[in-house]
Amino acid sequence: MSGVFVFIENADGQIPAIAKEMMTAGRIIADGLSEDLIGLVFGTDVDGVVDTAFDLGADEVLAADDDSLSPFRVEAVGPLVVSLAQEKEPNVILAGASPRGRDLAAWVAADLDTGLVADGTAIEVDGETVKVTRPVYAGKLLSTVFVTEGTQVITLRGRSFPQAESTGGSGSAEMVDTVVAEDDITSKVVGFAAKEGGVSLTDASIIVSGGRGVGGPEGFEPVQNLANVLGAAMGASRAAVDAGWIPYEHQVGQTGKTVSPDLYIAAGISGAIQHQAGMRTSKIIVAVNKDPEAPIFKLAQYGIVGDLFEVLPALSEEFSKRLS
Amino acid sequence: MKVVVCTKQTPSTTADLTVDDAGNVSWEDPGGKPNVVNPWDEYGIEEGILLKENHGATDVIAMTMGDEGSQEALKTALAMGCTEAVLLSDAAFAGADTLGTAKVLAAAINHAGDVDVAIFGKSAIDGDTGQTAVQTARKLGWTPLTFVSAINEIGDGAITVERLLDDGKETVTASLPVVISVVKEINDPRYPSFMGIRKASRATIPAWSAADIGVDGIGSKVDWSHIYAMPPREGSVEIMDGDSIKDKAAQLADKLFEEKVI
Repeated sequence: MSGVFVFIENADGQIPAIAKEMMTAGRIIADGLSEDLIGLVFGTDVDGVVDTAFDLGADEVLAADDDSLSPFRVEAVGPLVVSLAQEKEPNVILAGASPRGRDLAAWVAADLDTGLVADGTAIEVDGETVKVTRPVYAGKLLSTVFVTEGTQVITLRGRSFPQAESTGGSGSAEMVDTVVAEDDITSKVVGFAAKEGGVSLTDASIIVSGGRGVGGPEGFEPVQNLANVLGAAMGASRAAVDAGWIPYEHQVGQTGKTVSPDLYIAAGISGAIQHQAGMRTSKIIVAVNKDPEAPIFKLAQYGIVGDLFEVLPALSEEFSKRLS
Repeated sequence: MKVVVCTKQTPSTTADLTVDDAGNVSWEDPGGKPNVVNPWDEYGIEEGILLKENHGATDVIAMTMGDEGSQEALKTALAMGCTEAVLLSDAAFAGADTLGTAKVLAAAINHAGDVDVAIFGKSAIDGDTGQTAVQTARKLGWTPLTFVSAINEIGDGAITVERLLDDGKETVTASLPVVISVVKEINDPRYPSFMGIRKASRATIPAWSAADIGVDGIGSKVDWSHIYAMPPREGSVEIMDGDSIKDKAAQLADKLFEEKVI
């Protein structure tokens, strides 16, 4: 077994941040094992993505160009990766822990009858083994996990690694054929509604979140204003979502999204353990709260004790002055 | 139409967890209810019951792989309105990884017979891998549909669902049978009724063994024995101490530019 497969997710020629992050992680693993980094590119009109894959450091690229591969369906891509793995016998298959990456990794590990380590946040190569650190029990505990035999299938969480940078590398892909005919695929994508505006929570480098302290739907206005000034995504605690003040897609925490931005500003959020589980790996945490005893201050590096309806507008004004 | 809902018993979200040097995790709950149905599975149970109420499903069978203690999760499923519950319990299942679990669940679903839809929550809050639904689908040879936020149509051997992805909402049709995993947006799980709780408390829950469902060779190709406490975040909080809110905001801005996070 040799080689590190990295799934390079793409849609309409665009490569999401998580795929570029996987090229960084893939390079660490490939160098640790002294093996080649092999990019996997599937879709239609893949030439641009293939070029980017080489530029981001792939030693080789395996690519397939077929209508059945775009938009992504695991029923089309899964069997293709299984077949490539059986032919090339890679040591590691790596994908981002996005919905598509997770589906693919689970499918491939099941069909190869091998172990799967999901949703890691850090990696260490120990001999031939990739040891993966991952939060368990909703981020309350950590574990170090590895596959004990066979190809190691791994997914890693978004924003756990920086995006790979341009290496100036180039090359031509080995083009491969699909292995499942369209007629044999039972699922059909019949519609897609792109998410409207705004920065996605999981991709955001800055998040401004509001909790019970915002007091109502209109209380998210200063939160949104500060987010706009900082180019940030807007988050919320479960209390605010359950109260119906803001849609669920903004929820950060145990039963919402797990995020890891460079900067997390928590306004009017007390910092229950369930909320902490979703944001404690943020690089810098700032707490704004009226209650100096709020648990969030134990987690934060910086804090302002005060009314968020005064503090957030003051921050918006300060940052818009400095960022203009 | 026959529906199976796969559930797991997990520590409650408010449980205090401790881990010893050997990596054994134990927990207690300040509210006195340390074990619950995995919170994500409540949406799966609710969706199964809705298929009975709105789409003519005749059977909604809750299944949990676990020890005798996992009956509690199944009783909650019954109290909410599942028509049957089955515990999958065997010494041979202990220590199974996600693929091992998927093999057991797939065998149990086949054993139940003529199932059209198997429903999972999006992940379990303890192991949190979120991979069992797809792997169970592979072992059954069925189509997996993950991150489902709505079932638009079901019937005549087909299903149409909406899937909540990072970049938007995808509408997909597929032929039955399917395995779906559901996200929180799909419904509001009901509370068990008083009558439901009474009925469930009297129910005898059958247990199926490895021999009953015809599986062997369950094991794990993943080592997860090394579990430890999250290291505390370093340092303590620095509270901005300027005279006015404006000063405090300026102080914080200085710090954040120094940290290079803006």
